[in-house]
Amino acid sequence: MNKKTRQQIDLLKILVKKEITLKYKRTYLGFLWSLLNPLLTALVLFIAFRIFMRFEMENYTLFLLAAIFPWSWFSASVTMSTNTLTGNIALIKKVLFPKHFLILATIIGQLVNLIFALPILLVFVYYYGKAPALNWLYGIPLLIVVQFIVTYGVALVISMVNAFFRDMEYIINVSVGMLFWMTPIIYLLEAVPEKYRVLLVINPVTYLIQSWRDIFLNNTINWHNISISLVTAVVVLLAGTFIFSRLNRRLDEVL
Amino acid sequence: MITAENLWKSFPARRDRPGFKEFIVNAPKFLRYNKDCFWALKGVNLTVKKGECLGVIGRNGAGKSTLLSLLLGVAQPTKGKIEVNGKKTPLLELGAGFHPDLTGLENIIMNGVLLGHTEDEVLDRMDNIINFSELGDFIEMPLRTYSSGMTMRLAFSVAIHTEPEILLIDEVLAVGDESFQKKSGKALIELIKSGVTTVYVSHSMDAIKKICNRAIWLEHGEIRAEGESGKVINDYMNYLS
Repeated sequence: MNKKTRQQIDLLKILVKKEITLKYKRTYLGFLWSLLNPLLTALVLFIAFRIFMRFEMENYTLFLLAAIFPWSWFSASVTMSTNTLTGNIALIKKVLFPKHFLILATIIGQLVNLIFALPILLVFVYYYGKAPALNWLYGIPLLIVVQFIVTYGVALVISMVNAFFRDMEYIINVSVGMLFWMTPIIYLLEAVPEKYRVLLVINPVTYLIQSWRDIFLNNTINWHNISISLVTAVVVLLAGTFIFSRLNRRLDEVL
Repeated sequence: MITAENLWKSFPARRDRPGFKEFIVNAPKFLRYNKDCFWALKGVNLTVKKGECLGVIGRNGAGKSTLLSLLLGVAQPTKGKIEVNGKKTPLLELGAGFHPDLTGLENIIMNGVLLGHTEDEVLDRMDNIINFSELGDFIEMPLRTYSSGMTMRLAFSVAIHTEPEILLIDEVLAVGDESFQKKSGKALIELIKSGVTTVYVSHSMDAIKKICNRAIWLEHGEIRAEGESGKVINDYMNYLS
């Protein structure tokens, strides 16, 4: 490996490490917050929908968690990426380095939370009398890759656009909140009346969340959903890279 | 070796964002590509030969820092061509990229890697960097516990140990207290004299005269004078008085 590549890998490694270690550095619960966050969200949703609203569904906790952990990775990465460029002005204007590493580091930093959440999911899988199958070993990495591509593509666009158009941050906050309810995370896709279901079917995140659930709840890999997700992801990534590199030329003028 | 041909750089004229009402009423006007802009550099040509030190002088807002950002590559010229061959080390803002919650050691590694070294290379130089900074046991402490002088000393020590081929300096020749100022100034001058290609922006005419063989004088984004540094400085001083 030549020196340049080694240096780039080291740089990414250090940025990711910084992302992970600094986040909770001065808190008492530290890294536990990463797990507590989705768990408590799931708890509240469980109380609201299973107990108060009496959703009749078996394995509802597992059903929720299997979607909420991957969703948290996506939503946290997207929300945080709005500020990855505008929050590092000194670095970007005074040091020459690949800017997209900041965005990669944000997403990888959040991915670590998902990976640490997998054992928790496993506990619930056993609790509900199920067991993981061998296809988890390639299904999970495959879904991580697909979700990584789409998240990276989205994050490239919004981090860059936010530098030129600061309203982006607020637009994203609202959109991520809306997307949460417009994706079958806390409810079943099939429970939605047929005439409205089209709204969910055109939402690419639906296929991703459904694929995660297929693995964790049924041990099946739904190639149909995964291929739709993958195609969308690649399109988003190409568009993201294009927009990022175009606006990158004028970035220094607006920071 | 640095060559720049006919460099132009514009910034959008900074207007405050319009209020919402105004935005709605005049939407087409704001959405049109904004042609008002401020030209920070207007057709600058320069060449710095290998091992040469070029001084850049001029009043505030003359385009000196913009020129350095273009040479470093963190900004793109609006028009014109730049060619810079060699490993660039910026001394534009000491400690850009330092993080207050990381320790001195961690910041050294991060800064060193950002400046283009592998982690192993930084670790090899670690002892030299720590010794030079004279920070002692503070090196294990988070940066937020440092005084501003100590932070500058750390940043300077990292930068000077990166074996630069091209050094871009913006007014940081001496940092820290008096004794450290002497030491850092001396180390930097040694580095420059050792054959590093340098572009040095400063308001200290003495420093420019001492270090640079050649200088340019920028005024409103254009080169007013260039040549032997003593002569350019004289022209500039006459103009100011």
